[in-house]
Amino acid sequence: MKFQLKNIVAVMAMALAFTSCSNDDDNNDSVTGEGSLKIEFDNVYGSADFAANTAYTNSNGEIIKANKVKYIVSNIVLTKADGTTYTVPKTESYFIIDELTPASTLLTIPNVPAGNYKSISYGIGVDKAQFDLGATGQGNFLTTAQNAGMMWSWSAGYKFVAFEGTFTSSTVTTDTNFKLHTGQTGTDYNYATISINFPDNALVRTNITPQVHIMADLKHLLDGTNKINLSEGATIMGGSKLALATANLANMFEVHHVHND
Amino acid sequence: MKTKILLLLIFPILWSCSSDDSDEYQNIPIDFQIPSNFPAANYNFANNPLTEKGFELGKKLFYDGRLSSDGIVSCGFCHIQEDAFTHHGHTFSHGVGDAIGTRNAPPIQNMVFQTTFMWDGATTHLDLQPIIPFTSEIEMHGNFENAINMMKNDAAYKKLYKQAFSNGEINSENMLKALAQFQILLVSSNSRFDKYRRNEQGGNFTADELDGYTIFNQKCASCHATDIFTDNSFRNNGLPVNPSINDVGRYRVTELPQDMNKFKVPSLRNIEKTAPYMHDGRFFTLEAVLDHYSSGVVNSTTLDASLNNSGVLGISLSSSEKTKLIAFLKTLTDNEFLTNPKFAEY
Repeated sequence: MKFQLKNIVAVMAMALAFTSCSNDDDNNDSVTGEGSLKIEFDNVYGSADFAANTAYTNSNGEIIKANKVKYIVSNIVLTKADGTTYTVPKTESYFIIDELTPASTLLTIPNVPAGNYKSISYGIGVDKAQFDLGATGQGNFLTTAQNAGMMWSWSAGYKFVAFEGTFTSSTVTTDTNFKLHTGQTGTDYNYATISINFPDNALVRTNITPQVHIMADLKHLLDGTNKINLSEGATIMGGSKLALATANLANMFEVHHVHND
Repeated sequence: MKTKILLLLIFPILWSCSSDDSDEYQNIPIDFQIPSNFPAANYNFANNPLTEKGFELGKKLFYDGRLSSDGIVSCGFCHIQEDAFTHHGHTFSHGVGDAIGTRNAPPIQNMVFQTTFMWDGATTHLDLQPIIPFTSEIEMHGNFENAINMMKNDAAYKKLYKQAFSNGEINSENMLKALAQFQILLVSSNSRFDKYRRNEQGGNFTADELDGYTIFNQKCASCHATDIFTDNSFRNNGLPVNPSINDVGRYRVTELPQDMNKFKVPSLRNIEKTAPYMHDGRFFTLEAVLDHYSSGVVNSTTLDASLNNSGVLGISLSSSEKTKLIAFLKTLTDNEFLTNPKFAEY
């Protein structure tokens, strides 16, 4: 125990040292031009890396195996250490993250003003302001969404999160399909805004493209602050449970590290 | 033979004169006038300004079966102009692969004056509404990418998109905007009723029609409100649930128990032409509809309060009142709309 504490202190000291070193570089004034930023969405499940069709146990004892994990990431805003922000142009700020399509999990944001960025915010889903505009501003995203199976054709809306697979529990003993689709219902809009800090600043330069590594813990979808029991109903595409799953998104994401190579 | 050659010579001349030849954006605005007896429009025209070419493109899309998976079923397949853009005689419509739906195709008219669409209000924006029938597996089963590829390889579409939109792009946004423009302009506002309301020539009612209008205002207008004849609400009008379909109505959208078996109050315009009636097309005549309201209403936890007067269900209507109501309802037929060549497929 003592040894561990020592280690922690050592790591903290090192971190402090590094932080103070990097502070010297935090001279935003001298940084000009534009660069790019990469954002990686790395899906995990609890303390394990997520893999499709692999069994994970939720706190209620339900064992789930997922075969579809997709979510819409939108409206990315980057905040610099000095508090100023860069908002990615709205029409270029809608993405579908699909666990089974690796290329989709790494976003490249171009034309980012050079600077030291400390945090990010984004939405999960398509915001209500955009949706209320109708076709305006959608460009071809409806096509992209339909191709990805992220369109709710019966209500002309987007699926914000699609999480599907099979599960078993003490009462459901054979593999049974489950589907969680979040999105707008007649009562709730169910768009979530996520704001998370970087452990280290992302240093965007004309010649440096930092990579922000975000861990998305899928366990939170059903087994987060709100517990959703699939045994009570395994097709969740509407009603009050969507609001519960949406609230769970708030704790699903964390920035694990930032590469400034 | 001589005439033929002459025509062949003249035709290209006419063609080149026409502005249709241009691939440029043609900003010819359409002056959209709201009839004086109508409520306000529910649309942001600044985001999708109505133009002649936008409307023309929308009409082409509306009647193009190539948008569907089988190349045949267009919007206009189930929405026929002379029936106020319903599928006359069809309780349920058949889509691609002879798939059959579970709800009666509603009319397309005066859409921009409504705030919710579909029988259960599944969508609230006119631009996005076509996504539902376009993508539904039992209707058009369309795919945006396939449709866009088809249009990108079609000379007429390539030209029309450039003429209709300043960015000229063939994409899902512009496709839906054009369809919205066509639907917005499907306004039925020149029935005899409208002329009566606006004190215009031809707006004369018979004694029966006038009585019918009075009865209507007393007994029907609380739901079929305004000159659009709907308050855009969802209500359970006491139809016995068809167990073979068990349509939950608005509940599908909200999953709220109080919305079980509620459906959107439909407009009554051109009602003479839109049989069969109700969300599931169960009644073939207006007489059957009124008989339902006078003696067929069944109770349930979500029955509309206006149809339950201290345990007495329905609306009291004598047979003479029914006759007069139907006489009034037939004044809502707008032949100018039903036969306007601007909206016609051919």
